[in-house]
This record gives sequence, C-alpha cells and structure tokens, in this order.
Amino acid sequence: MNLSSAFRLSPAQAMPAAYTHLRNLVAYRELIYYLVVRDLRARYKNSVLGFLWSLLNPLALMLVFTTVFTIMRPGHNIQNYPIYVLCGLLPWNYFAAGLLGSTNSIVAGAGLIKKVYFPREALPIAAVLSQLVNFLLAFVVLFVALVVFQSPWSAWLWLLPLVILMQTCFILGLSFILATINVFYRDVMMIIDVVILAWFFLTPVFYPISAVPATVNLLGFTLPLHRLMYVLNPMASLINAYRDILYWGYRTDLDFLVRTLITSLVILIFGYWFFQRYSGRFGEEL
Amino acid sequence: MTQVLTTSRQTMQSSNGTGPATTPILQVQNISKRFKAHGEQRSLQQTVINLLGRNRDRAAQNAFWPLRNISFDVYPGESVGLVGHNGSGKSTLLKLITGILEPTEGQIQVNGRLSSLLELGAGFHPDLTGRENIFLNGAIYGLSRKEMHARLGSIIDFAELHDFIDTPVKHYSSGMYVRLGFAVAIHAEPDLLLVDEVLAVGDAAFQHKCLDAIQAFRRRGGTLLMVSHDLGSIQNICNRAIWLEKGHMRIDGRPIDVAMHYLNRVAEGEKQAAKGTNLPALENGLRWGSGRVLLESVQICAENGAAQSVFKTGDEMVIRIRYRCQEPVEPPVIGLSIHHQSGAHICGPNTDFGELTLPAGQTAGEVTYRIPWLSLLPGAYQVTAAVVHRQTQEMYDYHDRAYAFRVYPGASHEQYGLVTLRGEWGSRSEGVKG
Repeated sequence: MNLSSAFRLSPAQAMPAAYTHLRNLVAYRELIYYLVVRDLRARYKNSVLGFLWSLLNPLALMLVFTTVFTIMRPGHNIQNYPIYVLCGLLPWNYFAAGLLGSTNSIVAGAGLIKKVYFPREALPIAAVLSQLVNFLLAFVVLFVALVVFQSPWSAWLWLLPLVILMQTCFILGLSFILATINVFYRDVMMIIDVVILAWFFLTPVFYPISAVPATVNLLGFTLPLHRLMYVLNPMASLINAYRDILYWGYRTDLDFLVRTLITSLVILIFGYWFFQRYSGRFGEEL
Repeated sequence: MTQVLTTSRQTMQSSNGTGPATTPILQVQNISKRFKAHGEQRSLQQTVINLLGRNRDRAAQNAFWPLRNISFDVYPGESVGLVGHNGSGKSTLLKLITGILEPTEGQIQVNGRLSSLLELGAGFHPDLTGRENIFLNGAIYGLSRKEMHARLGSIIDFAELHDFIDTPVKHYSSGMYVRLGFAVAIHAEPDLLLVDEVLAVGDAAFQHKCLDAIQAFRRRGGTLLMVSHDLGSIQNICNRAIWLEKGHMRIDGRPIDVAMHYLNRVAEGEKQAAKGTNLPALENGLRWGSGRVLLESVQICAENGAAQSVFKTGDEMVIRIRYRCQEPVEPPVIGLSIHHQSGAHICGPNTDFGELTLPAGQTAGEVTYRIPWLSLLPGAYQVTAAVVHRQTQEMYDYHDRAYAFRVYPGASHEQYGLVTLRGEWGSRSEGVKG
C-alpha cells in the first residue's frame, strides 16, 4: 500500500464520490441489519443462556472488579463502587469488542467480498452495531444496579444517547482505519490486543483519575498528566461523560463534550474516507 | 486487433423486438487490469523501499495483466457469451463488472441492477436457516425485506425446499445449497445477470430447470452475460459471443462465427501439442503385445491430412496408422475401435472386415481408415489401435484407448445418444379441416 499517494484526492473530487457512497450505503441498510442479526445469532449459538450472557457478563465483571479493587485499596472512598466501575466498564467493553470485531470483519468476510459486490463498509458497521446491541442490553444491568444501590437518577440522563452516539462514531472511525490496514498488513490483529490492554490501563475505567498524580516531571518539564490523559484519549473523556451523567448526576462539562464530539466526527470522516479510498482493492488483496 | 464480426448491431437489437436501444445497459471502456506478480511479497522493509521510490520499476516489470484494452457495450435484451481458454481473463472480467475487483485502467458503467451467479450460495451463513439466508442473500443483492417477502414463496418452490426451509443451511446437502443459491439469484430479477459456469452444478433435472429459468429471464427482456466452456450452451442461449484470448478481445460477433474461430484455434493448439509423438508407454498398461509387429504411429487427421483432435459432426476424418514388422510375418490385421468417454463401444473396424489385405513380406507400411462423414455427436472419444495375427489372434501390439479426439456441434442438430443415423423426417397431412 503506497501511503504517500493517499493524500492526493482533491475535495472537489471527493464530495460527489462520498455522496454516491453514502446513498449506496443507505440502499444496503437491510444488509447491515441482517449482518447484525447474523453476528448476534452466531455469538449465542450453542449457549444455554443465550442472550442472557449480555447481562451476566457485565454483572460478573462488576463483581470481579469490585472484589479486586476493594482488596487492593481497602481505604478507598468511592461510594457505590459497583456503579462507578460499571459506568466505565460497559463503555470500555463496547469500545474494545467493537474495535476487535470490526478490525477483523473485512478479513473474516473474505469469502463474501471475493464473490459478491456490496458496499464493503457494511461489514465493519455491522460488527460495531452488533456490539452496540450488546452494550445497550448491558445497560439493563446498570439501571438495575442504580435502583439497588438507590443512587439518585440524574436529570441529565437525556444526554446519554448523545454520548453513546459520539462513542459509536469514534469506534466506527477507528474501525474503518484499522479494518483497512488489516487487509494489507495482518500484523494489525496481532498488535491490537496489546494496544487495547495498554489503553485500558491508561483510561480511568476502574480507578479514579485522582489515583494518578496530577502532574509529572519529565526531563525538567512539568506535564499536566490529568489534562493530557483527557485531551489525548477520547475514551477517557467519553467514560468521564458517562460517569458524570450516570454516577455523579452532573451535567458534564459542555466544552469537554463538544471537543470529544468534534474529535469523534473528525475520526469518523477521515476513517470513512480512508476506507473508501482502499476498499476497491479488497477483492484483490484478500 | 479485435475482429468485429457482428452482423451490424442494429440487426441484433431489432431481433429481440425492442427496437434499437439507445443506452447500453453495460459499458466497458478500454479496461485493463493489472495483478501483482506472484511472489511480490509485502513486508515492512519492502514498503519502506517502495515509499523511497527505488523499487517501482521492478514491480512494474513483474506485473501481470490478465486483461488488456477491453471495450464493448451490451444493450438491453442481448445475451452475450464469453468464451476463452482457462486464464484468458473471462472470470476477471466478470469480477470487474460486478465491482469485486477494480480496473487498473478504463471505466465500467452499469445502468441498472446487476446480480451475479459467480458462486451460488456465496453469502449463506451456515448457522442461519434457509429462510433467513434467503433474506440475507437478498439484502446482498440489494433487495428490501418487502421485496423478498413477495418472492419468498416462489423462491422456496423453485428450490424445492419446503420441508427444510427452517433448517440451518449447514445441514443442507450441496445440491440443496446450490438450488437455494440459484433460486435467490434468479428471483432478484436483475436487469443484468452475470453467470459464470454455474450451470455445471446440480443434477441434470436441476440444470434443466436453471436453463429454463434463464431462458424465461431472457424472454422477460433481461440481459445476460455468461461465461462458459460449453460452446453448445453459448450457441443455445446467446445471440452474441465474445472471445477472449490471453486478456485480449479476439472476436465479438455471432456465436456460431465465434465458435468456429475459437474451435480452429483450439485445434491449432492441440496440433502443436500433438507434435511431440504420443505413443503410449509400455509400462503403464495401455500398451501390450508380443512386439513382432509394432504400430509406430497413429494419427487422427482432418481431410487435408493434418493431425487434429477437434472435429465437428459431419467432418471428414482420416486415421493413419504406420507399422513396422520386426521379423517376417504373415500379413497382419490392423484394427481400430472407438469408444465414447462414457465407455460405450461405438465401432471396431479392421482391415479384415474392410477386405484389405496387406502386402506380404514387407517390413513397414501405412494404412488409413477414412470416415467421409463423421456421424458422432458432440463429446469426447477415444481410439484404440491394434495389430494382430490373422489366424492365431496373436496380439502383436495393442494401444488401449491411447488416442483421443473431441467432437463439437456441426452439421447435425441432434443432441441425444452418441451418433446420428442421418435419418430424415417426413410428414403427410390427413383430414385437414375446412
């Protein structure tokens, strides 16, 4: 793949092409629906509890993290830690599973891509959406937990769909890029596991950001670590937003939200453009 | 370099009753396709080198072009057959038209809905039931759920899967799988249908059904582009044929003309191959005998005496046999037998039946067996040659089915059995009313 030639399309050329692609994609929305159904069906086949796993899995994770964290930091002062950790864990799982599934989706769909034509982005989109279904089901657990722990319901709950949409855009954008590169360099699948694990620890999922020193001295410079973690890591901002809305009952910081929204949209648009640029060669490369 | 034998495009369009159509349904404009040469490995190192721009020339040298400068238009209602050897680029062309591959140069435009039978049931998911797969596959062809609901009954009827439609397709036999795949594709009711050799699947009854469905699709005004090795079915189904050779378009014209040019080329190629002598080896069991008389060469020739392995029904054929006597023997009998590929023994002429006595005391000679009008129907045939002692039946040399030829449709339109008896039909009317 000659990356140097990737940046030569003039905007005038790109616009009508993007419009055609999008219209094409809308025409194939039913395909995406069936691909999602297929993914979900395949995930729960031969399991006794079936889709209940979408609920049991976050519940079990919540128990594990609560136990581990309570043992590790006996003096922690986080109230309702199970809810606290769920607010981070559910979005994180959506992110990690969506990214893994969609990165592999093109390679896994090689049989289909080499035999029939359809908009290739249907595969990563379906992979992300099937994880979204999972994510939404898992919210049942979170809401039940909110009731059980008698946590106050926030008036800002209506912001939740917006945050979910933002996160979906962010995941889709990254997925488009990674799924494309994975066709040409399968190394992506090998690396991504480790990267996601590292990213997990760099994101305040199960610990509060206050567990990290606010500033750090590096080569004589004083770096604002908290700020950097949020600015460089959209997942930290997103999880922060979820937690504000669901755990703290806080309206979340608007400038924060807008910045994350813009980041997500930029990544989505770039990712889609990048995918379109190379998707024509998938049939040959696979 | 493309030879256009079309009897003028106008005649072909008006022949399907739609009058001269103005917009082609498919426009292929100067298409070329380049594949990376085999072994052009992608590695990080290679990528860096390529980015530095050092290695571009070498990559270009290794390139392989399965298609070069292909241009043609297909108008609504036409049905076009693509013929050519393996590796001539036919399937690549179909994949380019579908959009699975992108052309390196040139443009392809499809004005209408396209559906392709490149591989039946390609989009099926083993864990979904037949019914669910119908909808999934329909969605791949770009059909909505509503449209698929309307077609569901007729798809299930066509595939003959009433009892199994709610069974996961992983439990289907390969025949059921293919039936369902074809049923969905043909019911997608495309404007342009691409077919790649798929008619060679399934049992005979289902093949017939598929052919009928394709003919019905044509009668409804559908446009067809099909790849086949079977010139017979191209002549039956198509009203135009395109011959690709090594990625170039050779001829675009009437199927019968294209077929003849193509067969001549096939025959030429096989003649080249036959130049290396083809006596069967003694070890492999296809040749046996005492060896006192040897058959030195057996050639199947056309009327002009040139060795050939492709004939049409009605052609003249000459089989020429050279023999050598290793020691003085009484005049031997030389015989032939012709088998159909199915094993059926068709005939077994010999010099004795033919009342030809070979001269005595000779050391070598040649006999010919001339067939003035080949009455074999299309198929593959094998020839056995033998030389034997006239009285004792001592076998001197026996070449068991060592020579082959192939027959293509020619003077006779008969399709069943092995031979035509050249009978003639007559009729006499009786009791005409009025």
